[in-house]
Amino acid sequence: MRWMWIDRIVELVPRERLVAVKNVSLAEDHLHDHFPETLLPDGTRRPAMPVMPGSLVIEGMAQTAGILVGHAEGFREKVILAKVTRARLDRDATPGTTLRYTATLVQQSPLGAATQGVVELFDHGRPGAGYAEIGRIDLVFSHLDRNMAGVEFPEHNFVFSESFRTLLRSSGIPCDF
Amino acid sequence: MHFNLVDRVLEASPEGATTLKQVSLAEEYLQDHFPSFPVLPGVLMLEAMVQAGRVAAASRGLSVPLVLGEVRALKYNRFVPPGAAIRAQVSLDEAEPADTLSFRGQVVLVDSHSGDPGVVAASGRFTLRPVQAGPAA
Amino acid sequence: MTRDEIFEKVREVLVEALGVDDDEVTPGASLTADLGAESIDFLDIVFQLEQAFGFKIQQGELFPENVTQDPDYVQDGQVTPKGLAALKERLPHIDFAKLEADPKITKVAEVFTVDALVNFCERKLAA
Repeated sequence: MRWMWIDRIVELVPRERLVAVKNVSLAEDHLHDHFPETLLPDGTRRPAMPVMPGSLVIEGMAQTAGILVGHAEGFREKVILAKVTRARLDRDATPGTTLRYTATLVQQSPLGAATQGVVELFDHGRPGAGYAEIGRIDLVFSHLDRNMAGVEFPEHNFVFSESFRTLLRSSGIPCDF
Repeated sequence: MHFNLVDRVLEASPEGATTLKQVSLAEEYLQDHFPSFPVLPGVLMLEAMVQAGRVAAASRGLSVPLVLGEVRALKYNRFVPPGAAIRAQVSLDEAEPADTLSFRGQVVLVDSHSGDPGVVAASGRFTLRPVQAGPAA
Repeated sequence: MTRDEIFEKVREVLVEALGVDDDEVTPGASLTADLGAESIDFLDIVFQLEQAFGFKIQQGELFPENVTQDPDYVQDGQVTPKGLAALKERLPHIDFAKLEADPKITKVAEVFTVDALVNFCERKLAA
């Protein structure tokens, strides 16, 4: 499994907002564990119930917001998730839906940044309904080299790796870092 | 990847649970997180706490699948590298309604070889709730 | 804004940032010792105070930067008189009496009380 929880960036307003989408597909391994068919105490079987885990929805938002923050700084800083200030997820994404993450940059300093975000869900089985809001996720990011004296890291920016560069390129966003 | 972040249940009660997860370079996602600096993603520390919460839920006799509904003030203090283990310790704050469980939890980085009590790698509060599949009707 | 109103806003910020309950946020409560704040929380608190009150906080204005790393200010695990003077000068919103009585480096974080935050916001708003 690749640790890529967004598929495409659909909008980038530098230093302001980034919108990304993620398709939820039964081809993904983790959905087969979350949740599998289960034998209940009374002997009946509960059918499999594949739903996107909330922790991976938070990661999707973290990657969306992380790119927004990184891009705002020319990808010079190693931007890592330091805190989930608040997250609320009211509905769960099933296979055949698309998650849309909208991250907004609200604070930035030499030490890190804060973002607010909205999560929406689109059901391809009912396209007329459009995207519906299913949650909100607010995050704080830290600039690694400034904030962890005494810990050794590689010099290069390993946070924004080849996978991210591929994502940016295939979403039509120039990246020369 | 199998989405199971509990290798061992150390303690389980209606008031909370403690579980163990070992981190191994065999876990493929580590190649992406990050290349040349593999560490357990923070959201998987959260997921370990969620799964520990489900152990407590089972002790309370709840059999419906519970998922993450809310997170508050979850912060990350330490990197967790391959070869280390984490203990997810969760304790129940509130069960209101009965199938909505609010926990305080922490993830402790342990080095089983040194016998060190461990250092807190992550801590925060979260709530589990029944699945609500798809956008609202 | 009255001091009470400032306190309420500071309390909301701390409840949100630290995940504590309303009644845990008392004026004398220490952010670290009583409310469990850690370094990333200090960054979050700065961000949230800026948003709540609309003022801009410079690096090192609310919480001290670099003082604990400076060999002039900290020696053998104690804050030197020079260090104390620097802290008092840079952070007028904080009451350093307890630290002066026992200037161990480990006690520095304890001076950051809820009251200190309220003092800071009061001064910023009056400026």
